[in-house]
Amino acid sequence: MTCQQCTDSLHAFVDDELLPEEMDEVRAHLDSCASCARAHATIQNTSRQLRAELMRYPAPDVLKARIRASLAAEDVADEVQPTTSTPTRARRLSPSWSRFAAAVVVAAVIGSAATATVVRRDDASRALAGDVLASHIRSLMPGHLTDVASTNEHNVKPWFNGRVNLSPPVPRLDSAGFPLIGGRLDYVDGHPAAVVVYMRGQHVINVFWSPASERASAATSAPSEIDDNGYHLVRGRHDGLEYWIVSDLNRPDLATFQRRLDAEASRGSAEPR
Amino acid sequence: MSRPNARRFEEVVLPHLDEAYTLARYLVRDEHDAQDIVQDATLRALRHFEGFRDGDARAWLLTIVRNCCFTHRKRHRVDRSSVSLTDDVVAGIVGSRATDQLAIESSERERLHAAVMTLPPELREVIVLRELNDLSYREISDVVGIPMGTVMSRLSRARERLAGALGAGAKEAS
Repeated sequence: MTCQQCTDSLHAFVDDELLPEEMDEVRAHLDSCASCARAHATIQNTSRQLRAELMRYPAPDVLKARIRASLAAEDVADEVQPTTSTPTRARRLSPSWSRFAAAVVVAAVIGSAATATVVRRDDASRALAGDVLASHIRSLMPGHLTDVASTNEHNVKPWFNGRVNLSPPVPRLDSAGFPLIGGRLDYVDGHPAAVVVYMRGQHVINVFWSPASERASAATSAPSEIDDNGYHLVRGRHDGLEYWIVSDLNRPDLATFQRRLDAEASRGSAEPR
Repeated sequence: MSRPNARRFEEVVLPHLDEAYTLARYLVRDEHDAQDIVQDATLRALRHFEGFRDGDARAWLLTIVRNCCFTHRKRHRVDRSSVSLTDDVVAGIVGSRATDQLAIESSERERLHAAVMTLPPELREVIVLRELNDLSYREISDVVGIPMGTVMSRLSRARERLAGALGAGAKEAS
């Protein structure tokens, strides 16, 4: 083997991409040629260093949550496709627009699906539940999850001051495996709501807080738990406020979350200020 | 798409999200764009999943992500021109850094990262696919859509440049 032939094969040699007999030929040449051996060492070191030191980026949990949500949404969109041409048309637009349009369509579809489900069970909280679920799905779109991104309750809680006329409890639930992600303002049922965002693994948990209105007394007979297309909605009350918890997290974990939220919120409000 | 198919998609394709995201991060160099692209690519993959038989799901997803990244670059022509400008500027900074105090402070890892990020995209992608995603030449050839010989020549060009960047840094540091 000539030096030129060896040099031509060195990268494939380092990458183990040569036939066995070619590998042997290169190996034999490297044993006898110092300059090719140096070239080989340089390539091998570069490759090793790249593998050892270059950053690998794990997909962020928020991205995984968004993808799971959009897969679930796609599922629903496909089911309704025969009756509406909108999703098909949206797909012919540019990717970002089709994604946005599809998400809006899907949010509407799921919203109305949720609405339909709730109508059968209860009339009073129907609009609210549909709204809450649509907001949850909207929040998973790029840049919509949090207005204030912080894992510290002392950043998140004061942020709501002056932005919304209620001060929701923002307990830390890290120890229970539900890290705080942040907060945002949202509109639900025509009123501003304070949303506190937690995560569990790849699942986003949105807690929508609003004042317990006079409607709420009528709604006390309403179901406090709704399942829809893999999403779970749980309603609760605390200290003159009403909340909806929404997530695609499994039921038992979500029940744990609600228990911890209730417990920590009560503890917080019992403390002297 | 039927539900069993959707479940199979989750089992077969979603485990490769980390690698897909890594590739997108290196190709578009922006966290938010990379997230959008991977989400978009995953949805595209889902829509064409019926046509996907028992092949290499990882290479298949990476192909879609790679194509979405390049479409993204083309679509953002303004960005692209500013990106290529940035490339030059960054390359200039990296070059002058070597003769600068900064070079001593910046770790080897950062220098390596900067060197990879300033490679032209067609060299950057083969480096990421080979060294980080550990794809074979055959798989890279499928993902990028180039002959295997071209895979090898691009890899060798990319590594030569990176070895140069590393060598310059090492000399400076000593």
